[in-house]
Order: sequence, then structure tokens, then C-alpha cells
Amino acid sequence: MTTQEITPTDDFGIAEASRTNLWKDAFARLAANKLAVIGIIPIVLLFFIAIFGPYLTPYDFLAQDFTARLAAPSSEHWLGTDELGRDVFSRILYGARTAVAVGLVSTAISLIVGLIMGSLAGYLGGRVDMLVVWLTDMTRSMPALLLAIVINLTLKVPLEAWMEQMYLATKNGFFRQTMWVDLVLVFGALALIQWPGYARLIRGQILSIRSRNYVLAARALGMPTGRILTRYVIPNAMGPLIVAVSAGLGGAMVLESAFSFLGVGVQLPIPSWGKMISDGLRMWQTHPYLLAGPAVMMAIITVSFAWLGDGLNDALNPRQWGG
Amino acid sequence: MSQTDSSNRAPLVRVENLTKHFSVRIGAYGETKATVHALDEVSFDVRRGETLGLVGESGCGKSTAGLTLLQLHRPTSGKVYFEEKEVTGLSEKEMRPLRRRMQIIFQDPYSTLSPRMTIGNAIGEPLWLHELASGREAQERISRLLNDVGLNPAFAFRYPHEFSGGQRQRVCIARALACEPEFIVCDEPISALDVSIQAQIINLLQDLQEEYDLTYLFIAHDLAVVRHISDRVAVMYLGRVVEMAPKERLFDNPLHPYTNALLLSVPVPNPRQERQREHIVIQGNVPSAISPPSGCRFHPRCPLAFEPCDHVVPEWREAEPGHWVACHAV
Amino acid sequence: MSVLLDVQDLQTRFQVRKGYVYAVNGVSFQLDQGDTLAVVGESGCGKSVTMLSLVRLLPPAASIENGQVLLRGEDLLQLNLRQLRDVRGGEIGMIFQDPMTSLNPFINIGTQMAEPLIYHRGMSKSEALARSAELLGMVGIPDGEARLREYPHQFSGGMRQRVMIAMSMSCEPAVLIADEPTTALDVTIQAQIVELVKELRDRSGVAVIWITHDLSVVAGIADRVIVMYAGYIVEEAPVDALFEDPRHPYTVGLMGALPSLAGETGTRLTTIGGSPPDLVDLPDFCPFHPRCPYAIDRCRKENPMLEPVIDASDGGHRAACWVDIREVELEAGAAAGSV
Ligand SMILES: Nc1ncnc2c1ncn2[C@@H]1O[C@H](COP(=O)(O)OP(=O)(O)O)[C@@H](O)[C@H]1O
Ligand SMILES: Nc1ncnc2c1ncn2[C@@H]1O[C@H](COP(=O)(O)OP(=O)(O)O)[C@@H](O)[C@H]1O
Ligand code: SF4
Ligand code: SF4
Ligand SMILES: [Mg+2]
Ligand SMILES: [Mg+2]
Repeated sequence: MTTQEITPTDDFGIAEASRTNLWKDAFARLAANKLAVIGIIPIVLLFFIAIFGPYLTPYDFLAQDFTARLAAPSSEHWLGTDELGRDVFSRILYGARTAVAVGLVSTAISLIVGLIMGSLAGYLGGRVDMLVVWLTDMTRSMPALLLAIVINLTLKVPLEAWMEQMYLATKNGFFRQTMWVDLVLVFGALALIQWPGYARLIRGQILSIRSRNYVLAARALGMPTGRILTRYVIPNAMGPLIVAVSAGLGGAMVLESAFSFLGVGVQLPIPSWGKMISDGLRMWQTHPYLLAGPAVMMAIITVSFAWLGDGLNDALNPRQWGG
Repeated sequence: MSQTDSSNRAPLVRVENLTKHFSVRIGAYGETKATVHALDEVSFDVRRGETLGLVGESGCGKSTAGLTLLQLHRPTSGKVYFEEKEVTGLSEKEMRPLRRRMQIIFQDPYSTLSPRMTIGNAIGEPLWLHELASGREAQERISRLLNDVGLNPAFAFRYPHEFSGGQRQRVCIARALACEPEFIVCDEPISALDVSIQAQIINLLQDLQEEYDLTYLFIAHDLAVVRHISDRVAVMYLGRVVEMAPKERLFDNPLHPYTNALLLSVPVPNPRQERQREHIVIQGNVPSAISPPSGCRFHPRCPLAFEPCDHVVPEWREAEPGHWVACHAV
Repeated sequence: MSVLLDVQDLQTRFQVRKGYVYAVNGVSFQLDQGDTLAVVGESGCGKSVTMLSLVRLLPPAASIENGQVLLRGEDLLQLNLRQLRDVRGGEIGMIFQDPMTSLNPFINIGTQMAEPLIYHRGMSKSEALARSAELLGMVGIPDGEARLREYPHQFSGGMRQRVMIAMSMSCEPAVLIADEPTTALDVTIQAQIVELVKELRDRSGVAVIWITHDLSVVAGIADRVIVMYAGYIVEEAPVDALFEDPRHPYTVGLMGALPSLAGETGTRLTTIGGSPPDLVDLPDFCPFHPRCPYAIDRCRKENPMLEPVIDASDGGHRAACWVDIREVELEAGAAAGSV
């Protein structure tokens, strides 16, 4: 062949690394991102505490010490005690469970709903698309907190009544635990508020990626739809989705605390940071540490998720790598 | 070489009355439905080993022709034959073995490579998909393909953003070649590239054609480029092919008034000739493909238009052997 | 003919994250009254930045490091912003590649066209609109009065470019700078626009700077041509001399790379290997040497100055090259264009 005269440009001068796999490369990139690594530490800690919390706390979260109510932070109670004399530090550690549950479960539900609705809209288009867009617009036009209150007020009583009836009918102890009603309502409200964001994002990603020539080129190669999705659409849609999910995890926790403040949050036996913040708010002028502990934790976790999300996005985008 | 006489070769690809309409919504709120007549009753053939150039102004339906021919758009009507076997109506699964044999190279090398896939993997996709090679053999094939298109095989582990436009186009060519195709639609493969890079890609495409006995449908809007690379040329205007002939005939003796106008619009890279030559400039703009003119679609701009032109569609006929045209005045 | 615009040693660079991009590196040229100067080069060689530097329409990251831009003897680089605004759109009219983005989509054509007339010429709104309708007729858009009420999206690409030309010519500028005005247009529309600008030039005597990457357009419109590479002028010549007796290897390469409607077919195009350099360092060598088939040792050590060529068939033929390429035996295979 006579391509000698078509000389390739000089070598870029980059060492010939064996970069072969996007995920492997992405991991290396992530490890090099300082903010993301800093963000990972509190998140790992959070999950650790959520799992092993009960073994770590100096006090039981319910243990009341009437001799030390509203005590200021001391060597005995690192973050002081609340009005019932419960150790705030212990309650924060227990609260990690609630935070993780609220963040993970509500985000998972809204992500699944969003993925299904968004993909349907993006792929099928036409009437389905119009319907999904209309639904998301409707949901998003309602104020989030109002929605949560309305849901709580309308569904809580009938649901609890139903549980009671089921208990009487089945004598199954499960139905005595009305805490499940709370959980369902809170997660349901959070998912309802959050799914439209994911749905719109996924729809937009699919529409834009579908129109890219590399998808057309893949079709021209005879690639089946499934492989196009896994090799082209998903990796390219991943970045923005990861950013949205990691912001959503923190967002869900913040929202839950707002619910608690309004009295429609999780009424669990174990503490939730949202509940602690809303309780602390009432006394923050006289006893700021009641608010400070959970609020700082929440802020750290939210920011950590955001940093990790950004880091993941950059790590998954070869263009960000510089050369 | 591409300049060999191809007149007596068998057609590899043949399209017959190929039509593609798009329905779109127009109006400020998308309230009105309309039909874009992107491709209307187009017939031509591409013979084995030749390059058929397809020229026309932007929006005249060249890309639609290429994509519909490859069944990447479902045709509204009409037929496409590959080796005289009809491919229109085949399911995607039935198409798959044919896809390996018919490839496409796009205009914009930036959006044609997934930014999240190394170029080695991009080139390897077709090998995997059509089970042409795997493992070590696949690596060797990828290296050889990169070498064939004038890139350093060590580039296989890099991502597209590290490459210039011309280099990306070489990668796209390598990916198309990986299938060992017989037929490639080149959809304006050089239009987005720098002048000095365009010639490199043209030469590369010609070398590869010779080496692998490829057949090209070469789409372009640049007449000089088409003249350089093609054996035969088809001229499109507003969704229709208006003239098709061996290149010498088409450029030296154009029959259709639009072809003629197009040729007169091309600047001559010679100042003395430019000063002397008569500048007859075709007036007006290309009408909308949503409501194309009746009869001959060129009639509102045609200097020769006469009685039947605005209501009778001129017949697509062979005016001289091998020289097809659709015009009442010929 | 008198010198209208005299640009001396213009240098513009961009501050970027890792240092500077040297976009324009000591460009000097003159434009005579009524003359047409074409500026040719591949994308990124500094054509637009040069022209934007003349009227200081640069993005914030850019700074003009040196030079003079003398319009009738007055240095535009020393003017304050107010004075400069009088020059932009007044003495110097500009049209750009993309007529879609050069017009405001939310304002009708009439209002947009009237603005410079009101601002620079002190016309009343109704006078300005009347003049605008006239101008539309002049650039070949009939029924001007009605069309003034229309919005840019109601015009085709070629029509928008005509509107841009009408606007830039409205204040009877002394210089019209056209930055790749036909690159986004089809060839039949390009031919219309080229004919239109030639006609306006001949009628009004405006001097034109026509920027393009397409050498064949140059042949039909220019009196003189500047070829740019990597922020330098590498060759400057009257149009006939440039096409018949090009002296810089880059110019020669560009011409060989150009298929034409008249040339022989069946031949291979000669190519320029490699690709243009990025401009992150000021070179102390010839910036073209990695791609140049004629390169000698000296090219890697010293950057040649733009100097008059030997045995010029015409005065004003300059090139920046250490080698007299006519002396180099072409059959030595060098013409193939390999590095
Ligand atoms: N997917 C599509 N939907 C609607 N209209 C389209 C689509 N693709 C192309 N068109 C229209 O069809 C016509 C022909 O387009 P195209 O084939 O891209 O032209 P060319 O490649 O010659 O520039 C144009 O009017 C274009 O707007
Ligand atoms: N905003 C900017 N920031 C950094 N570099 C720039 C910017 N704009 C232009 N450049 C650089 O300046 C050089 C000249 O650009 P330009 O004059 O636009 O080229 P052209 O000849 O295509 O008109 C290019 O190499 C480009 O990378
Ligand atoms: S058919 Fe009529 S209008 Fe069409 S090109 Fe021929 S002469 Fe012109
Ligand atoms: S100076 Fe040397 S490298 Fe530069 S163009 Fe002339 S011969 Fe080529
Ligand atoms: Mg096209
Ligand atoms: Mg430019």
C-alpha cells in the first residue's frame, strides 16, 4: 500500500500506558481527585456507623439521664444531652441508620421510577413521551413540602386503620408496628418528589445520545439494540446521572429533616437527624449544640456526596483527563 | 484505481424509486403536521469497484439517500438491492450479515466516536460483533488497521478527544474497514476537515479502494472533490436525482440546467481565467423540502423553464448511453 | 493609490491555563484604498484574531501585546472605547461566517439595520428605516419595506448574509472585513455573495479584506493575498503572482492539495503531511518545518522573516522561507509532500 506519505503526526509524547478499560481508568482518575477522596471518607464512615452504630455508642439512644438534662458538651457527654437527658452523640450515631435508609431507599425508588419513565419517554417518544413530560411537569409544579403534608394527612389515618384491621384479622405482629406506615409515607413522598428530576434527566440523555452519530455508526455495524444501550448509551449517560444521584442522596436527607420539622417525618423509635435538627431548632438560641451536632453531620454528608459525584463524573469523562 | 472504466461492471448496489418522507411538526407550537420530501423516487446504481459521486447543495437529500440505502432509515417506498438481492423489508436481524458488507463514514468525526471508548475498542467493535477475530488476533488486526489508515498502532489505547479531526476521521475509516466491507457510503467525509488534511483523506480513501477493491458512494457538496474521486457522478436537487453520467461527460457536457448552474458557480483557482470568465450566477434559493415546487422542482430558478415544467414531472431517462437526466428541455 | 490601513507588527496572544496561545505573531500588512486583500490559511492560523485585533473586538483572555493599526494615519490601538465605537460599524464594517448568530433572533431586521444608521449617522428612526429598505434592495432583497418587519429566522442563510452585508455597508465604511462570509453557504449562494460584494466594492470604492480558507474563492475576488500559518504571514503577493509563482512551501502545498474542475483527473493529490501546530510556544524555528518537504538544517534553528522574494515577477511579493524552492529539484520526490 502506498500510505507512506500520509505520515501520522508525531507521537503525543505520552507514555504508552495500557489504558484499556473505561472503568479501570475511571477508578485511577477518581483516586487522583483530592476532593472526591476527601468526600469518600465521611461517606464510608457513615455506612460504617450505620451498620455498627449500636456497638460504638457510649450510651443507648433511649437511655435517659434525668440528672443531666440539657447538659452542655463534656467529657461524659461529648455533644451534651437533650431535654430528656439522652446523649446527643449516641443519638447522632444511631441517626446514621435513618439517614442511610432515607437516602438510599428513597433515591433507589425514585431512580427506578425515573429510569423506567425516562427511558420509555426517550425511546418510545410520541404519546408516551408527552404523557411522561406532562406527569413530571405536574409533579414538579407542586411545592414539595406541601405535597408531603397532603400525602401524610390524607393517607396516614386510613393506612393505620387498615393495619389495625389486618392485625385483628391475621393476628400477625407485623401489623402492630405502625412505624411502617410512617416509613412508607415518607419514602413515598420523597420518591414522588424526586422521580421527575431523574426521569427528565434520563429522557434528555437518551434523546441527545440517540441522535449522536456514534449510535448511528453502531447501528450501521449491525449492533443489536441491547449492546448499543450497554456500550454506548449508558456509559455516555452515566456521568450526569451519577452527579444527580449523589446530589439526590444528600438532598433526600435534607428533605427528610424538613418533613420532620413539619411533623410529617419519620417517627421511628431510633433517632433521625432531621428530627433532631427540628427538635434542636426550637432551642437553638439557648442550647445551640443540640442543633449543631446533627446539622454539621448532615452538611458534611451532603457536601461529601456532592464532591464524590463530581469526582465520579470527571473520572468517567475521558475529556476531563487532560493529556 | 478508481479511474478505471466501470461501465460494463455489474451493479453492487441498486436503488429503485427510493423515497423517504419525514413527518415533522411545524408552526410556533408544533401544531401543524407536515411532510419533508427528503428523497423522492430516486434511482441509481453503484457498480462493483467504482466510486459514484453524489453531489448537491445542503438539504437536498444526499445523507438521507445514503442512510436509507443502508436501511438506517426505513424507506417510505422504493427498493434497494445489494448484489441484486432485495434488502428493503429485511428485519434488522436479517440485515446483520449484510451490515458487515456495507459501511458508512460520516461527515463529523467528532460525534461519530463515543468519547468514552478507546479508539482501539471502537475499531474492535465490528471484529467482535461479526466474530471476525478475537483476543490476540483482534489486537493484531486493530494494529494493522491503524497502520493502514496512517496512524500509530500505539494510539489504540487513547480516547478520541486526544486526536485532531483528521486523525479521528482516519479512526472512523479504520472502524468501517474492520468489517471487511465491500461497499462504503462516504457521507461528506472531508467537509469538516482542514484544507491540508482533506487531501490526505482523499488519497487515503483512494489507496484503500485500490488495496481492498472497495466500492464507494461518495457524497459531497464540493464538485471539484467529486470530480477528482468519482468514476460516475449523480447530481441531486431537492430530493431528486436530476442527472447522472460518467464524470467526464457530466463535467464537460452537462445536460441538466441545474448541473450547468452548479458548475458555473464553482470558483476557478486561476485569477486570469476568473477575470475573463463570464459570471452567470443562478438566482434565488433552494425552496423548502416541505412544499417542493410542482412539476420540475428546479423550475422556479431555471433559466430554460418553459410550458410543461411547472406541472409535469420530467421523466428520468437515458438521454445518451450511460447519461441519465430528468429535464423537459433535453 | 494611497495606503488606507497600515498594520505594523501586530501581536496578540491568549492567556490560557497553562500559559499563552500565541495567535498572531507580528503581522504587518497594508491595504490601499479600494483594494481587495484576501487572507488565506487553515482554521486556527490566526485570521480571525488578526482582524478582531484591528478593532479590538477580542475576548477577555486576549491581549494585544504589540503593534500599530493605522487607519489613515491614526492608530486604532490608541483610541479610547468611545472613539473606537465610531470606527466599528462606521469606518470599518464587518461580516462574519455565521449569519445565524450574527443577527439577534428576537429583533426584527428593520430595527437591527436602523440601529447603526441612527447611532453613526444621526438619522431619525423613519429615515433609518427608509434607508434600510433601500439597502436591502441594493443587496438583492426585493420588497425591502415589508421584509424589514420580518425576523432573522424567516430568512435563508444566504439572505441573512445579504442582510449582514447591507448592515455593514450602511454607514459607507472605508474598509469591509469579511470573515469567511461564504464558508457556511452552498456554492451557488457563495457565487451570489461573491458577485454581490464585487459589485458593491466597484460601486462604492470600499476596500475589502476577505478572509477564507478556500484558495479558489481568492482567485476571483482578490487583488493581493496574504497566506497565514501558525500566526505568521508566510507569503504575501499580488494574486496573479501568488497563483503562478508561489514561493512558500506551504502555499505550494495548499495549491497541490486542491482538486480543481479544470485540472487533470486520475492524478494523486499532493498532500501536506501532519497537521498544523498548536500555538503554545513562540517558535525559534520555522513553524512549518515539521511538515515541509524543503526543510534544511537552518529551518530548525531560525525562524525566517517575511522578505521580498528573489526575481519577483511583481513588486510586493514577499515570503518567509530560507529556501528558494525553485532551485530545489522537484523530481527529487520532495513534491510528494512527505515529511
Ligand atoms: N430525521 C429527519 N427528520 C426530519 N427531516 C429530516 C430528517 N433528516 C433529514 N431531514 C430533512 O430532509 C432533507 C434532506 O436532508 P439531508 O439528507 O440531510 O440533506 P443533505 O445530506 O443533502 O444535506 C432536509 O430538508 C432535512 O431537513
Ligand atoms: N478564546 C480563545 N482562547 C484561547 N485561544 C484562542 C481563543 N480564540 C482563538 N484562540 C486561538 O487563536 C488561534 C487563532 O484563532 P483564529 O484567529 O480564530 O483562527 P482562524 O484562522 O481560523 O480564524 C487558534 O489557534 C485558537 O486556538
Ligand atoms: S424540466 Fe424545465 S424547469 Fe426543469 S430543468 Fe428542465 S427546463 Fe428547467
Ligand atoms: S523555512 Fe525551511 S521549513 Fe520553513 S518553509 Fe522554508 S524550507 Fe520549509
Ligand atoms: Mg448531509
Ligand atoms: Mg476564523
